[in-house]
Amino acid sequence: MKLKWMLLCLSLFAAVIGVVRAQDDIDVDEEMIVSEDQVMIETDGDEPNIEEVEPTDADTYLLFTKPVFEEKASIELPAGRLSEFLVGFTNKGSEDLVLETLDASLRYPMDFNFHIQNFSTITIDKTIPPGSQATLGYAFIPADAFAGRPFGLSINLAYRDNEGKQVISKLYNDTVNIIEVEEGLDGETLFLYLLMAAACVLLLVGGQQFLYSVGKKRVGGGLPSRARSNLETGTKSSKQIDMDWVPKNVINHLNKQKAQSPKQKRAKKIE
Amino acid sequence: MYSFKSIVLIALICTSLCISSQSSDEPQARLLVSKQVLNKLLVQDSDILVKYTIYNVGSVPAINVILQDSGFPDEAFATVKGNLNIQFTRIPVGANVTHAVVIKPLTYGRFNFSAAVVQYKSSENSVEPQLAISSEPGEGYIISYAEYDKKFSPHLLDWFAFAIMSLPAVVAPFVMWWISKSKYELILKQKREKVSKD
Repeated sequence: MKLKWMLLCLSLFAAVIGVVRAQDDIDVDEEMIVSEDQVMIETDGDEPNIEEVEPTDADTYLLFTKPVFEEKASIELPAGRLSEFLVGFTNKGSEDLVLETLDASLRYPMDFNFHIQNFSTITIDKTIPPGSQATLGYAFIPADAFAGRPFGLSINLAYRDNEGKQVISKLYNDTVNIIEVEEGLDGETLFLYLLMAAACVLLLVGGQQFLYSVGKKRVGGGLPSRARSNLETGTKSSKQIDMDWVPKNVINHLNKQKAQSPKQKRAKKIE
Repeated sequence: MYSFKSIVLIALICTSLCISSQSSDEPQARLLVSKQVLNKLLVQDSDILVKYTIYNVGSVPAINVILQDSGFPDEAFATVKGNLNIQFTRIPVGANVTHAVVIKPLTYGRFNFSAAVVQYKSSENSVEPQLAISSEPGEGYIISYAEYDKKFSPHLLDWFAFAIMSLPAVVAPFVMWWISKSKYELILKQKREKVSKD
């Protein structure tokens, strides 16, 4: 009985240790796969070399805050609108890390070396002591022209350790969809409708004019005689003019002027 | 019996040690703190809205979260509404908390909006508080009120002065027209009276 119990306990113990070991292995494998950290080493030439290194002391986290996505959902960014994300940075090591720059860019999805749109690189220059955390904010606007197409989004965080070794951490390096924002009423469609309404009104007016002229030709066949006699002739016949409202002195003045009009004067002189 | 007990005890201690060595992987809260200045225009003696948002992206709730912002010195800023030091007892997993403060700059010029400091317990068992700093809104230029007024005031006094200055050019022709009109109307009136008498 005792022996049985002892065996059971020992086997349990062994199993627990085995499970723990296995978990360790998995963790290590995952880290090896996930880590895409690269180190830039300054060489004699102008072009810096990029080398793969083992996981560093930094732990990063990327969170899109505008627009909001569910975890592990594909990222869709609205074109021409502000997109914001936060980067969490934890220094897990025992030495200071200095955050240098954070930048983002849209790449051609078939070839990530081909830049489509570069967003500004922000300089942080902040020292993170061991065990401490920091949050970085970044906002960008994908260009309007890229709506409705997939692009590679690349977000890079550069930091260096105490020895000056620079590490570029790729926070995001995957294809995202740039979506077009559906608006209820934008200027373009508004003016299109306005133009259509104006065209309709113009058509109606033209039609009315056409119908009017056709109708007149059929019915009248020219102006009737009565209409001709009632034609407005202005002040041709001066007898009809009512001069009562004009003050007397003005009438006298006018008469005087009439009598001495320059034409008459000239005629008199010639005579 | 004694040996059996001791073996079981040793086994238990061993397993507990094994598990405790895994403590670095124990679930922890993780906070992302953003600090944003919501104003587009920073004006002396006008309100500035500062928004702090705390996201818990970890796997356990964050406890005793203390947010402290010492980035607004008393000689340069007055707090209009809200508190620059605030404590949240618990932020659940996947939740976010927003805190807003209204401040008023007393002077003008360049100002660097620096990061706020957050302290929290990343799990129930953790002894030492986790230190974190928020995102930085960065440098902003606070314009003086006179400068702001020059750009955005409705210029009421200026328009009033303009109206007074343009008054003679409008009133003089009107007065001349009014005089002649009243002259003719007087004649018409006299005539009508004559007709009615007749």
